[in-house]
Amino acid sequence: MSEITVEKLSYFHGKDTPYEIKALDGIDLKIQKGMITGLIGHTGSGKSTLVQMFNGILRPHEGKVLLDGEDIWKRPKDIRKIRFRVGLVMQYPEYQLFEETIYKDIAYGPKNMGLSESEIDERVREAAEFAGLEPDLLEKSPFDLSGGQKRRAAIAGIIAMRPELLILDEPAAGLDPRGRDSIFQNIAEYQKKSGSTVLIVSHSMEDMARYCERLIVMSGGKIMLEGNCREVFSHADLLESVGLDIPQITKLTMMLRERGIELDSSVYTVEEAFEKIIKLYS
Amino acid sequence: MAEPFIKIENLSYTYEEEDANASPVLKELSLRIEKGEFVAVLGHNGSGKSTLAKLINMILLPTSGKIFVKGKDITIENMRDEELLELRKTVGMVFQNPDNQLVATVVEDDVAFGPENLGVPSRKIRERVDRVLRDVGMLEYAKHEPHRLSGGQKQRIAIAGVLAMLPECIIFDESTAMLDPLGRRDVMSAIEKLNREQGITVIMITHYMEEAAVADRIVVLDDGKMILDGTPSFVFEHEDRLRECGLAIPQGTELIHKLRRAGISLEGECVTLEDCADLIERSLENKGN
Repeated sequence: MSEITVEKLSYFHGKDTPYEIKALDGIDLKIQKGMITGLIGHTGSGKSTLVQMFNGILRPHEGKVLLDGEDIWKRPKDIRKIRFRVGLVMQYPEYQLFEETIYKDIAYGPKNMGLSESEIDERVREAAEFAGLEPDLLEKSPFDLSGGQKRRAAIAGIIAMRPELLILDEPAAGLDPRGRDSIFQNIAEYQKKSGSTVLIVSHSMEDMARYCERLIVMSGGKIMLEGNCREVFSHADLLESVGLDIPQITKLTMMLRERGIELDSSVYTVEEAFEKIIKLYS
Repeated sequence: MAEPFIKIENLSYTYEEEDANASPVLKELSLRIEKGEFVAVLGHNGSGKSTLAKLINMILLPTSGKIFVKGKDITIENMRDEELLELRKTVGMVFQNPDNQLVATVVEDDVAFGPENLGVPSRKIRERVDRVLRDVGMLEYAKHEPHRLSGGQKQRIAIAGVLAMLPECIIFDESTAMLDPLGRRDVMSAIEKLNREQGITVIMITHYMEEAAVADRIVVLDDGKMILDGTPSFVFEHEDRLRECGLAIPQGTELIHKLRRAGISLEGECVTLEDCADLIERSLENKGN
């Protein structure tokens, strides 16, 4: 289990061109070990740039990314090894499947790590299970799978490298409600069983509230808020002002408070709201 | 009864692949949509929603069954080009990915692309482009480069591009799925405005229940068949049926249902968060009396 820290991190898109934009602006941040953290921010807030820094796809222009206290760019030639330790599942990863079978696709990462056949086999099966893929799908071609299954296969491909930090960028985008729930539940179970550190980027405040222990909010290339759900969602106005949202159910409890109903507004799931409101009737 | 704007009769569609026993994606579906309606189409991934949209937009031809737009059969093969063009103008479509729909390097050129191809005189195009950009709240971006805009802005440009064809109906195929909350809000309010103020018929495919809640009517597809059809209030009453087919209901509505099951008396509609707050407030007051 390892820890990612960034120090005074800055990055510019189109550096040294007339279009230069500061995408990350002197960020200091620590991703807490062994839990699920959610990263939220509007389009262009810098969150995708930040996660691409974590596994060395982008190199900082200023500042450092530290993995277990060590600068990941200390030996640039070894940056590939960082990508085995920090796994990044990009948006719509199902478009990146390329092998003949799902098995081979999941095995691609471990194979590149130079593992033995038996070790690869063990990892492919374990990762498929974590990602919620039925074993009989492994020998199928990606073309024969549904969108949701392909998404799971792509996630399994990263999990198979047993990354110490797993980053998922919008893992449930485009899925129906059941598909969303089931992918998030699989991620939560994976986190619990493996004890690894997980970072999820999502626009769905309801999902973030339900599955993340900590939240980081970005805006304008900076960290705007950081804390648990209670701390972050208590800044509803601030979140709305930067184009974000709070969970629907939290909005409802705030509306009830405004109408003079005595209710603690730190409510993020329907179950919590139910427990609190039912008490008002007793 | 007057001819509906869109009439779908016993529509079936099977994607033809090597696999000869591929099962149909749509099964004998019948549906009528009136002019000016705002219809949300819900269904899990693979339920046939997008196939339906593509059939109405004539991207696909049905395996069997008919679709009539303004009384005209759009499923005949070998349709004359002029007729096809006329129908495509009548029913426009906005897709999911904002990056796949813009063709020009300047916003106003992109919006002008459709009318230019129709041979609309350039003075008229100018007027039209300005008007539709204003309609979606993007006029100030007329000279901008599309690729530098946010997802929500790009989608509004895509909508403007469709509007410039003067459609009577627009189909939105999960057009907010890739957007952040602000982008979703902006696109949703643009869609609502087109329907409420200009009377454009809207068919909106979505996975977001809060978005479906603003429609006049919700149609739920499961396994290629229509299983529910009615107002949002009516459809959301069927929580168990919706869950069975992989869907959900808005969080506020879910809470009200849960409270009702626990024996709390909450009478009335519970579609929007305001509705839900009203119900809870009123029932707490009654309890005090």
